[in-house]
Amino acid sequence: MENRYTKTKRLMTITMLLTMSILLQLLEPGLPLPVPGVKLGLANIMGLITLFLFTPKDMLSVNLLRVLLASLLRGTLFGTAFWLSLSGVCLSTVMVILLKKYTPMSIIGLSVASSVFHCLGQILAVSVIWDSIFMITYLPVMWVLSVPTGVLTGTISKQVLIRMKKEA
Amino acid sequence: MNRADKIFIVIVIICTIALYASLGWIQSLDNGKKKIAVVEYKNEEILRIDMAKDETYTVEATKGTVYIEVKNGQIRVEKETSPYHYCSLQGWVERSNVPIVCLPNDLVIMIHGVDDESGEDVTLH
Repeated sequence: MENRYTKTKRLMTITMLLTMSILLQLLEPGLPLPVPGVKLGLANIMGLITLFLFTPKDMLSVNLLRVLLASLLRGTLFGTAFWLSLSGVCLSTVMVILLKKYTPMSIIGLSVASSVFHCLGQILAVSVIWDSIFMITYLPVMWVLSVPTGVLTGTISKQVLIRMKKEA
Repeated sequence: MNRADKIFIVIVIICTIALYASLGWIQSLDNGKKKIAVVEYKNEEILRIDMAKDETYTVEATKGTVYIEVKNGQIRVEKETSPYHYCSLQGWVERSNVPIVCLPNDLVIMIHGVDDESGEDVTLH
């Protein structure tokens, strides 16, 4: 897949994926959902697409830059929420890259895994920040919701990839 | 979705159930104990609330005043200033060790079970 992109086209595509992920990250809290505090993780779609179109390193940079730039634009850089977001994204990206390399999981499973490890990373970070292991009480609820939201974003990513590959 | 995906999802669900069950077991250890709620602001305890008394409390936090209400052995954040109001949306909490977190206000409220006989000097985490 990768060699079908010229150097410039590759750079442009990654930049556009990053831009879209920042946009989704910023717009997502405005989406009305029946359960308060739940995010679909739409921004992660762009990260997954990057992983499947390019390399794991590109996914890592798209995801890290997304968190950094989105919180810079929102004005919450280096606040508590930023560190939670960063730890979640670091753990989920690393785990997804490892799972893609060592297991036969498809993009849908990887999306669920991403969501699961994002929650775990956030909970671990908040436990350290507030010095309380009982933040883990939230984890079962988050994990239960991770499955449907992960399947949803994974399915969207798969459909986007099918269309992108046709064009490329 | 292939077989590996399904196996992963099943593992996640098993982990969730195991975690939920063990947390329930930890909470059941506090049954019958006297309950107090501890309010922490930026990791420092600022208020200790007796859960047996119905009352409203106010604390000053990062974004302004937070109104905390205790009623029938339950506690909730009644009103607060934050972008999404997650902690007031969380509603009533009566089980111990379930934190109410208000991230923008750097505030955490959690119920602890304390042994009645040992008096007031109980070590909290």
